[in-house]
Amino acid sequence: MVSPYFLLGIGLGLAFLLGLLGQKARKSSSILILVALFSFVGISFSWLWQFLQENASVTQFFSAGFKPPFSIALQVGLHEAVLTSMINVMGLFSFVSLWRNMKDGNEKLGPILLILFMGLNMLVLTRDIFNVFVFLEITAIALGGLILFDEKKHARSAGFKYLIASALISTIYLLGAVLIYFSNGSLYLDDVMALNNMSPMAIVAVFLLILSLVLELKPFPANGWALDVYQGANPAIGAIVSAAIGSTMLFLLYKLMGMAAFMQEFLIAVGLISFIASNLLALVQKNANRLLGYSSIGQIGLIISIIGLKDILGDQFLFVAFMILITHFLAKAGLFWLSAMLKSDELKAWSVFRKKSVLLVLFGIFIFALIGFPPFPSFYGKWTLIINLAETHNYYLIAAILIGSFLEAIYLFRWLGYAIKVDFTEYDEVKINWEKLIPVLTFGALLLASGLYMAHLMPGIEDITLWPLLFILAIYLLDFLPAYIKNTISIAALAYFSFIILPPYYEKDLLRFIFLGIFAIGGILTLIAGYAYKGKRRGFYPVALLMYAGLIVLIQAETTLSFFFGWEIMTAGSYFLIIRGKRSMEHGLSYMLFSIGGAYAILAGLGLTFAQTHNIDILSLASVTVHAKLIFLLLAVGFLTKTAALGLHIWLPGAHAEAESDVSPMVSAILLKAGVFGLFILMIAMGKNPEVASIAYILGWVGALTALVGNLAAAFQEDAKRLLAYSSIAQLGYILFALAMMSHLGWMTAMVYSLNHFMYKAILFLTIGAVVLRVGTHSMYKMGGLIQRMPLAFIAVLVGIIALSGVPPLSGFAGKWFFYNAVLEKGWYFQGAIVFFSGIVAFLYLFKLIYSVFLGQLKDNLRQVKDISIWFAIPIYVLILGIMFFSAKPEWVLQPLSDMLTQWYPNTSLSFDGLYINSNFGYWSGTGVMITIMIMFIVLLLWLWILSRKVVKVKQFNIVYSAEAPQRPETTHVSYNIFAGYYKALGWIVAPKISELWNKISDFVVSVAHFGRMIYTGNGQTYLVHILAFIVVTFLWFLN
Amino acid sequence: MLLSIENIALASGILLILIGLLGALTNKNIIRMIVAFSIFDTGVNILIVTFGYMPGRTAPIIDGAKVTAQNIAQVAIDPVPQALVLTAIVIGFGVTALMLVFALKMHEKRKSLDINDYTDLKW
Repeated sequence: MVSPYFLLGIGLGLAFLLGLLGQKARKSSSILILVALFSFVGISFSWLWQFLQENASVTQFFSAGFKPPFSIALQVGLHEAVLTSMINVMGLFSFVSLWRNMKDGNEKLGPILLILFMGLNMLVLTRDIFNVFVFLEITAIALGGLILFDEKKHARSAGFKYLIASALISTIYLLGAVLIYFSNGSLYLDDVMALNNMSPMAIVAVFLLILSLVLELKPFPANGWALDVYQGANPAIGAIVSAAIGSTMLFLLYKLMGMAAFMQEFLIAVGLISFIASNLLALVQKNANRLLGYSSIGQIGLIISIIGLKDILGDQFLFVAFMILITHFLAKAGLFWLSAMLKSDELKAWSVFRKKSVLLVLFGIFIFALIGFPPFPSFYGKWTLIINLAETHNYYLIAAILIGSFLEAIYLFRWLGYAIKVDFTEYDEVKINWEKLIPVLTFGALLLASGLYMAHLMPGIEDITLWPLLFILAIYLLDFLPAYIKNTISIAALAYFSFIILPPYYEKDLLRFIFLGIFAIGGILTLIAGYAYKGKRRGFYPVALLMYAGLIVLIQAETTLSFFFGWEIMTAGSYFLIIRGKRSMEHGLSYMLFSIGGAYAILAGLGLTFAQTHNIDILSLASVTVHAKLIFLLLAVGFLTKTAALGLHIWLPGAHAEAESDVSPMVSAILLKAGVFGLFILMIAMGKNPEVASIAYILGWVGALTALVGNLAAAFQEDAKRLLAYSSIAQLGYILFALAMMSHLGWMTAMVYSLNHFMYKAILFLTIGAVVLRVGTHSMYKMGGLIQRMPLAFIAVLVGIIALSGVPPLSGFAGKWFFYNAVLEKGWYFQGAIVFFSGIVAFLYLFKLIYSVFLGQLKDNLRQVKDISIWFAIPIYVLILGIMFFSAKPEWVLQPLSDMLTQWYPNTSLSFDGLYINSNFGYWSGTGVMITIMIMFIVLLLWLWILSRKVVKVKQFNIVYSAEAPQRPETTHVSYNIFAGYYKALGWIVAPKISELWNKISDFVVSVAHFGRMIYTGNGQTYLVHILAFIVVTFLWFLN
Repeated sequence: MLLSIENIALASGILLILIGLLGALTNKNIIRMIVAFSIFDTGVNILIVTFGYMPGRTAPIIDGAKVTAQNIAQVAIDPVPQALVLTAIVIGFGVTALMLVFALKMHEKRKSLDINDYTDLKW
């Protein structure tokens, strides 16, 4: 094994040599330093190789052949090899990223950088407590030197604050180190750790050591100096501080905690307080680098608390800590390096990355990794952490971690939203230099690769989930191709994938077959509409496929882990789809926040489940005995954020309405079913548990009220797509109501509604979307009379609204029929009446949809408008055929469904008798109704046709209206606010009380953040006081 | 004995630490703050030396007469604390020098040494 003293020799030797040679060596110094940093990487990689491939054992090296305490001991083990590899790679890339700064006359930076990274290596390797002090100071001085040569405006004042803070902190360390020596005569860490019972003096010493290391890690609130450094210094230095120094200090803390088990609780508390507080204060931050600083402090706080949780996490500790550390390391360094490419510190300036899509993608990868989305390592880290905390009944810690993560998600996703949506013309363009690009690109690739590798290793994730992700990566690389080629590839991929995995489910699991069918067939059909788009449609296909991949994983999941994996992938993909809309920045954010909140509820619920079943099989939900109510509630709330139940629905109207024409059906007709599928899975597993009956009863009410409010709100919309969006909320309310009935008929209702809603909402959204593409407005009162110009669209909407309204002969009636049967059987008359009433309200908006858009008078500016694009018409008419088939032969679908549901509800009054479906309350024949109504329809049509031969055709304005001959179509087609009367009577029900409530909550949190960050006054002395106060408070805590 | 050399050293060490801290917190002038930090460092160093003081012992140099390889542990003092202090002094020198350079550079730019003038970065 290569001796670690080489690191010391190379680092110090070269730095001194260059100092001695002076001016002459300046020219070649950069090359020499690059070689030195390469040799660092080589040495640590050689150790890594030996540990991973040759099973080397931990080795200690002693200086000059003496034994400790008379020598300096360096230890090389697997942990040290990993950490030094990370640090040295970071050193190399830091050098690369600072290359230009060095070329422009600051060659001195090179030796300083070398010494800094040598110091960090030594901090990782050393087993000598005093030696730690020396290298702490060396790194502090080196970092101070780096900042000193920084030309950024406020770098030096920040550097000074850093120096005085670190002088105070390292003195505390020094006192601790000296006291350790006096208490047991050795500075050798292994000696101290071997002590059985410590003297009081040793305890004080260890306390001081750990305290100072914690202070080095910038705990809240003693961290103002660090924030100023992040903001004031060159972001490339920020990357070093956050990633390299942060990781080193964390490892050092972990190493020294070997003698300080009594301080574990302290670490947990300090870490979590930092995690929550700095993420809270970051909410109001507008400076990108300072924001990254807050985020770094938060992430490091989380890892501090994980170090404190070492005993609780047991053998999972290293995995959890490393997953979160490596994500922080790669993502934070990457983000700082991205920041270094920009001239402006403003968050919104990051929008210029849109011009170089690689950088935007990298930004996205880093953000998603930090929040803990799959497939990144932190996803597995957080999952394992939560599961283990639940198992050890540390519920408050779970809550704290999830709250902190949620706060972090708010500002990181708002920032990503700025980058995707904000106008970038006012910001300087980004110039990409190779030396700035290489580090970011490498770290982004490493992050992705490590995540995919982890997914492969992790038990509970099926390998098959990775192929779609790799495919998505491939389609991203093909992004330069025109849209129609990518569209064809995407459709082919989805079709091939469904062809392979869909058929076996028909025999195996009909429920999954149906939902997978909705996702796969719906996906293919909505993608067909994409042919209507010209150009390249950059970025659309990877994210659309990401959503479908997530949905498919969700269905295939056999473990709770892969279920959650699919859920998160689906959320990520749909977020990008939604935010593509023109005015979707806020809607994308609110969708994401509700989704993440919901996902954390699901995570907590699954964690609590694992705590008692010790099993990640998804069926294990059924064997929950303790906390059943809580688990059921958490999971239900998680799924209801996706189905937009009342109270959790405020994201939906904007998100669905502002999305692109072919995205609206994807996120409405298809995506919402993911929540329904989740609810099905949940109720199948836990529905039999007597404890959850009361919650199901409440969910029934929520469903009924959602239906009422959704339909009423839909009736008062002027925007066609918003109308459809509110209608979706209401329809999902029906489904929730039906599911909550927990009976065979109730679930039949839910299944029929899910299928129907998929078909007619896809038809309606596709048609309206295609109309919007032609007429250029969402406002219905600006349309009118389009029946003359768009017969295809008119027929589609007509079929859609007949199906939705639930009148015979179309399949919506099947839903109604089952619904009434189920309500009568269950006896939920009151709630049932509300749902019934909201069904009547639905007629209002359905009428408005067809009347305002297609009937009445054609507007002047739309006289030349063409019918909808053929690429929209194809999927629409395929779906119409589907509805017709389902309406004419409902029993072909319903009978297998009913048989399937009998495995959970064997007692049912439902029976199938040829063309008839019988229940206790009556019978119904879809085919019979269809034939009867078709005959009536044809007879009437013929009669009208005969009559129409006598009709005289007149021009549009050949009328007299209020004793006036109108000149403009608007005056004869009143379609604005046509339900004003109803609004006066019932408008109070749809007043945006819930949005106001959420706004108040968010205003409150923001004002707390505004107030809280005032402690960072910018004055170096105040920061010193913070540090002293932190020390005193900690000391008093331990005195107790 | 109250006025023994250990007690005097101990008291002066603690006193210097307190003076240093107070100085660093109350002086607005950056140079004065740096001086205060030096005093603080000195106090800490005196404290460490005091802890390592062993009355009546001699220097740990094996001269063959008074100190031999056999009795060194009984008659000579432990040199490690002093070695540690020496290191700490050297490092303290480095840190002080760097702080002064920072003060110089800050003054160059803004012609002010008042710490209150450097609060542009905050919140």
